[in-house]
Amino acid sequence: MSTQQDWNALSDEEFRRIFRDWVEENCPKELRFMRKQRPLFDEVAVWYHNLARKGWLAPVWPQAYGGMGLNPSKHIIYVEEWARMGCPRIPDHGIGLVGPLLLQYGSEEQKQHFLPRIISGEHVWCQGYSEPNSGSDLASLKTSAVREGDEFVVNGQKIWTTLAHCANWVLLLVRTKRVEGKRQEGISVLLADLRTPGVTIRPIPNLREEADFCEVFFDNVRVPVANLVGEVDKGWTLAKSVLGHERIFLGAPARPEYALTRLEALAEATGAFEDKAFLSRYAKHRLDVYDLGSAFERFAKVLRAGGDLEADVSVLKIFNTELYQRITEEMLEIAGEDARFEDDLDAGEIQVDAMNLFLDSRAPAIFGGSNEIQRNILAKAVLNLPG
Amino acid sequence: MPQTMFDDPDGTLAMLRNSVAGFAAQSPGAKILRERRAARKDLDQSIWNGMAEAGWLGLSLPEAMGGSGLGLREQAVLSEALGRELITEPLAQLAVFAGTLVAAFPDNAEVQRLGQGIADGSLIVSPLWQGRDAGRASAVMKRSGNSLLLSGDYHFVSAPRSATEFLVVAESDEGTALASVGAKSEGVSVSLRPSVDGNQIGSITLSGVEISGERVIASGPDVDGALARAIEVTRLALAAELAGIASRALEITVGYTRNRVQFGKPIASFQAVQHRLVDMWGDAEFACAAVVNAAETAVSGKGKDATLATLAAKARAGDAAVSVARRSVHLHGAMGFTDECDIGLYLKRAINLNATLGQPEKLRLQFVALERAA
Repeated sequence: MSTQQDWNALSDEEFRRIFRDWVEENCPKELRFMRKQRPLFDEVAVWYHNLARKGWLAPVWPQAYGGMGLNPSKHIIYVEEWARMGCPRIPDHGIGLVGPLLLQYGSEEQKQHFLPRIISGEHVWCQGYSEPNSGSDLASLKTSAVREGDEFVVNGQKIWTTLAHCANWVLLLVRTKRVEGKRQEGISVLLADLRTPGVTIRPIPNLREEADFCEVFFDNVRVPVANLVGEVDKGWTLAKSVLGHERIFLGAPARPEYALTRLEALAEATGAFEDKAFLSRYAKHRLDVYDLGSAFERFAKVLRAGGDLEADVSVLKIFNTELYQRITEEMLEIAGEDARFEDDLDAGEIQVDAMNLFLDSRAPAIFGGSNEIQRNILAKAVLNLPG
Repeated sequence: MPQTMFDDPDGTLAMLRNSVAGFAAQSPGAKILRERRAARKDLDQSIWNGMAEAGWLGLSLPEAMGGSGLGLREQAVLSEALGRELITEPLAQLAVFAGTLVAAFPDNAEVQRLGQGIADGSLIVSPLWQGRDAGRASAVMKRSGNSLLLSGDYHFVSAPRSATEFLVVAESDEGTALASVGAKSEGVSVSLRPSVDGNQIGSITLSGVEISGERVIASGPDVDGALARAIEVTRLALAAELAGIASRALEITVGYTRNRVQFGKPIASFQAVQHRLVDMWGDAEFACAAVVNAAETAVSGKGKDATLATLAAKARAGDAAVSVARRSVHLHGAMGFTDECDIGLYLKRAINLNATLGQPEKLRLQFVALERAA
């Protein structure tokens, strides 16, 4: 790992330039603008290890633990440039979820053991939160962990576990105690090795006929007590609080911006821009994307000034994901009779993956808390509505 | 509640917001609007004088013209606050538009007179430039001996009765001309039409109105440029005012639905109502963010980017204000349909401002045309 400098001391422009130049050299061309949203570890391993060698894999971890130590405003640049240059998403639950959780709540032993293995790619993580009957209502989760000596014995089922089939560790929310009327109590956070006997992983083909999420079964799976994060029964707040300023990225304009460029390519090729009705609808999508940029900036400014984000930031997530859907719906509209095809559409020199994007855009309005749940939260936390 | 967020290192913006809130506490916007509507007036002179005293009319005029020399951030915050408080005297047209037009020609003696008058409220200067189709009026200025003659039909004129001066755009042999005309000059005829928000909008015919050469401020491409700039700055002010209306209408409606009890509960406790309110809040947030983006882009001085940002802001804030106010009326139930309830006034005001200088659809198409022309 190369010696790190204080990136935050650079000007934004300089950091952006250094980051871009290095990515240009080190992110393989054939991985840029991948059709797949969630490639498997092996498909992007070169990029992962290039980042790791440079010390740029974990943008916000402290440098002492192998991160870049970026402050939020530099982190925003990192994420923006990553998207702009079409870098593929890496399996990032270790970097984005487990790392921050351990940094905040883990023991020093846990940090020393797990963090380097995330950086090296030895441990590939997934997130075991949702269950068949605990989706939006996550606190009703039932997967149980019963203590026996130095081990917890885990039984139950997780579902919608993204990339579990290329992971070897899972961050688990389990029930360690039942408290009548207080469902948030008695939930604990465990780190479990997926190679332990009793674990079964079954990929679930999604609407795109790709398997990027799985169901994971636990049948008397033994997890060392040393792998408990924080206090037993107190895992709920811990799991909920791990995302800080990163929540802004659920609303980052990159996805709809990219979809809009695809719509534009398709519209050029089909002559749709000559159609006044289309032009009117296009103008609305265009301005929605533009204004999402302004709204994103409103929250980014808070972070740059050293402030913390509040619940209101999820307005970006709602707008972003619904806009992504509208743009992909528009692609199918102007594709006309071709909209029925599963494969990509010809758009002059290039191909536009209209159906791929349309299907992909169904998911973000659900994951990370469905947009209806987001509205419930905003109603309480921002508008202070009763009931 | 949503509000534009600017850096405010010396507290000027907070002071402006307080000054508007204090003014409205003395003279509530809805009350003034109703009185003016009942009297069928096009301006409340005492309110206008108060606005001049508060320093709002000359906010962005240069200090040499008696203004405060402040910028677009300050103008946006002032206009937003006026929108919130439903202070509906036509500041956007009579101060922002007229002020921007005259300030483009600072060395002119007539401009000094008009600028001073706008800032201190002693002159009410109403721009005449739009035709029936809302684009430039076909009007002409012809030389006749030592004087000039102006003829043309103008529409969408603010304070047509109260104006003391008209600031006239017309075609001349030297290109587009900008001149002033005394409002009571011979050959000026005025007709009035009520606007939905309790004001009077004028159509004005100039039939060979004679003016002296000193009243001609400028002619040629500079006037075209100044007019384009006045339209843009006024759109920004209108966008801010609309964002303020959206935010305040939402606030009133949140208050109402929290107090209104049906089925033994406040109606704001029902999810169907909550999700509507959250969507209205999101629309108002986006409107405020668009206004900030437009002001910051304009302040940083990037010509085309500023034009795009302003088109976006006026479209976004116009849509937000009208649709938030419309949903607000609905969420007030039958009360919302009464004239007595203020919420309807917010809707009507939003409709007027949204229609002024371009409906959202038209602005969006302009944005796309400008962007794609590159």
